[in-house]
Amino acid sequence: MRSIRTRTEALVLLLFCAACSTGVGPPIGEDRPGDPQRGGVLRTAFFTDVRGLDAATAFDTAASALESLIYDGLVSYDDQGKIVPVLAERIDVSPDGKRYVFPLRRGVTFHDGSELTAADVKRSMERALHVKTPCPVPSYYERVVGYAAYHDGKAEELVGVKVEGDYQIAIELSEPDATFLHIMALPIVAPVCKSAGRVWERTFASQPCGAGPFKVTRYENGQIIKLVRHEGYWDKGKPYLDGVDWYLSMQSFTQRFKFDQGDIDYIRELSEADSLLYRTTPAWRGRGEWEPSLTTGGTFMNTEMPPFDNRHVRRAVSYAIDREQLAGVRPGHVRAHAKMVPNVLIAPEPEYPQQRFDYATALEEMRLAGYAYDPKTGQGGYPHEIPYLAILDSYAQTAAEIYQQQLAKIGIRIKIQVVGWPTFLAKTGRRKTAQMGFSGWHADFPDPSTFFEPILATKSIQDEESQNAAFFSNKELDDVLDRARRSTSTDERKALYRRAEAIVADEAPWATTYTYSYLELWHPYLHGYRPHPVLSQHVRNAWIDAGQKKLARRGARGLPFLDRLVQSGSKHARTTLALAESGGSR
Amino acid sequence: MLAYLGRRLLWSFFTIWAVVTATFFIYNVLPEDPARVIAGPQARPADVARIRTQLGLDRPVHIRYARYMTGLVSLKKPPADAKDDGAWKLGPVRIDLGVSYLKRKPVTTLLAKALPPTLLVGFLALAIEVAIGAAAGMLAAMKRHGFLDYGTVALTLVGISAPTFLTGLLLQHFLARELRLFPLDGYGQTSAEQLHSAMLPALTLGLYGAAYYTRLVRDEMITLLKEDYIRTARAKGQSEWLVVIRHALRNALMPLVTVVGLSMGSLVGGAIVTEKIFRWPGIGSLSVDAIVERDGPVIMGVVILFSSVVVAANFLVDLSYAVLDPRVRRR
Repeated sequence: MRSIRTRTEALVLLLFCAACSTGVGPPIGEDRPGDPQRGGVLRTAFFTDVRGLDAATAFDTAASALESLIYDGLVSYDDQGKIVPVLAERIDVSPDGKRYVFPLRRGVTFHDGSELTAADVKRSMERALHVKTPCPVPSYYERVVGYAAYHDGKAEELVGVKVEGDYQIAIELSEPDATFLHIMALPIVAPVCKSAGRVWERTFASQPCGAGPFKVTRYENGQIIKLVRHEGYWDKGKPYLDGVDWYLSMQSFTQRFKFDQGDIDYIRELSEADSLLYRTTPAWRGRGEWEPSLTTGGTFMNTEMPPFDNRHVRRAVSYAIDREQLAGVRPGHVRAHAKMVPNVLIAPEPEYPQQRFDYATALEEMRLAGYAYDPKTGQGGYPHEIPYLAILDSYAQTAAEIYQQQLAKIGIRIKIQVVGWPTFLAKTGRRKTAQMGFSGWHADFPDPSTFFEPILATKSIQDEESQNAAFFSNKELDDVLDRARRSTSTDERKALYRRAEAIVADEAPWATTYTYSYLELWHPYLHGYRPHPVLSQHVRNAWIDAGQKKLARRGARGLPFLDRLVQSGSKHARTTLALAESGGSR
Repeated sequence: MLAYLGRRLLWSFFTIWAVVTATFFIYNVLPEDPARVIAGPQARPADVARIRTQLGLDRPVHIRYARYMTGLVSLKKPPADAKDDGAWKLGPVRIDLGVSYLKRKPVTTLLAKALPPTLLVGFLALAIEVAIGAAAGMLAAMKRHGFLDYGTVALTLVGISAPTFLTGLLLQHFLARELRLFPLDGYGQTSAEQLHSAMLPALTLGLYGAAYYTRLVRDEMITLLKEDYIRTARAKGQSEWLVVIRHALRNALMPLVTVVGLSMGSLVGGAIVTEKIFRWPGIGSLSVDAIVERDGPVIMGVVILFSSVVVAANFLVDLSYAVLDPRVRRR
């Protein structure tokens, strides 16, 4: 009787252990590189919902990933992140950099079967920039001749966009703009079908139609977007996939469960804990890649408010932050980074002294500012507590706690105020309101200008809604940025942006401290995918090894609970049952 | 009687108006700019200003309020060539809740789509909690001071204390991930798929509610089982099960019915956490997304729907009092 009872207890214990185990499943399939295969449906998910799929209005990260599958633009990025023509055959730029001519490919068809012409390109641009279109970023195109009159509703057409026959479009700019091709690569101005009309209508968002490799067959908010291959796609033989199923609003733990089961082929939005779990699981070692980061994060200091109206205090803050400590809190995801521009965009170069942790110099800067601090006695420093604005449930909140400890060592006491995004934007954008807080920026497009002009140029200062939260104004920086934007010389632009970095490091309106990156994982049967240097979740060239995928389906039919019981749980089983056999003497 | 009903009806409309007005002003005086949320955190000021104008957010708050209220309920007919704006039409009355800032769809369309999933899960959860609550409460009362009673009391304590996000995750882990009895999340396309997918969120909510109902029924049954008529029934030689089910349980369920009736209104409000865990496209998910993204028209729409249902339920209760109780009719 005792033996039976002990065996039962052992079995219950075993079942419990197996059920509670939360280890990750192994990769499904094997790496068998070969020629791309056509067929199969790629399945993946977003944590968020997608606001819409109208190219002219949807500009969030989630929508952009889908739009890159539905719409093709005149230009886009190759695998190295370099601008290349797509629907255009080539790009001709006038010597003064003010006129761009795009001869179009012949035989490009929209999802509805109609042929793409230059008139469609002009119509699509006018539709996106129309006064009634709720486009979030029309001002990106303000240098197109006639933009202001057209966008204000004073002109019938966008005169700077010229149709030159059926297959050529020319765009004239009011002044040279080195970022122009980047903004032409945004889905905002991608050609859309004639059904989209000349003026924006909200119904198009649920029936999007473009000239990209996939077309939408099902779109349910908060549930799923189903795409199928556009059979008339201009790039013959592509895409390889029959379709893409993109689940929406899926919690990160559910994504992980589905990925384990092979119900999702590719995953990006892992929780910190799950990311660590995969990285420490031997079967997954060496798999997956970090998405190149086009972000910079740190802390802004309002240069119009004390004590940050004193440059020495700002520099003291920059010297006092040990950026490696920030990275240590979330290894892998967070990397120490002390410049405005991410390394992906400009070749890495040595940091400026102000961007390195140097405690002694930080104390010296505090002394020069008139707030000398004695670490031994804790006497001195800035006499008032400084409110620090951080964003709820973000890494910014964690970083703020680290800053709080580090800055206390030089006599700056900060009080963290955690708020939601909308409140954060409202407070930091109002003049003389927020002394200090989180600062972060994601590239609007992959050009260094995007990390300076919107956030540190004098022209971006406003009394309300200021993007320049530091309210930083520096004539030399303005001049350098202006010259860099107009320049058509790559070398000259690089030199100018290095100068801009040096000015920001010296004046320290921001203490840049880290970049944030996502770990991307995919099962071995998925080929042709690697994180793109510019485009997030760019799966258009992916293909699926059908034979290996069958393994996934077979695996998905099994019960992980029983699998673990039989396989990975066998060690537990042997130990526990052996214990039971011995009479449970322990 | 008519005067009484008239007064109740007026109070009902006043209550809805007060809730709508309070919500509108609370939402609009917050130092947050929906245009900035729509445009994105990195949008340029000129673009934010344009969106603010397009949405009419550049007008003073009292003008916006007047425009909202006049658009909300109106008798005017839309032009013959006007496109469908999704407004609800009750005879000559049009109810227009506006268009979502972010999803750019009529709020009425969003609510009409979210309501059936919420009701499906709500009624399933209600059935689960009543069934479990009645059965477990009855058994615990019958075996008072026994293992079953203590076990039930302990379990109900856990059930009441455990937040739904914990219960939901555990159920998802064991029943969907490990045993593959239900889908991990989602809604499904066919009715069968939807019913299958609804089981986990319904169980999550149902177990939570069942803990309350178990305690309610148990306490009621313990009192009733001491009553004279129960002793008489036993003395007549009826079996214990027959006595309990026919005489005690029926009476013990009366307070349960009252509580269930009162909780019907909250079903429409959706279950915010549970719906998010299981990616259930109901009112709860819609509300969370709207609040996070400051989607004013959707927030207002949800508040109006919820308050209207609660007020209507109360009105019906008042009406039933008037029918049942002559003293109320004479007031």
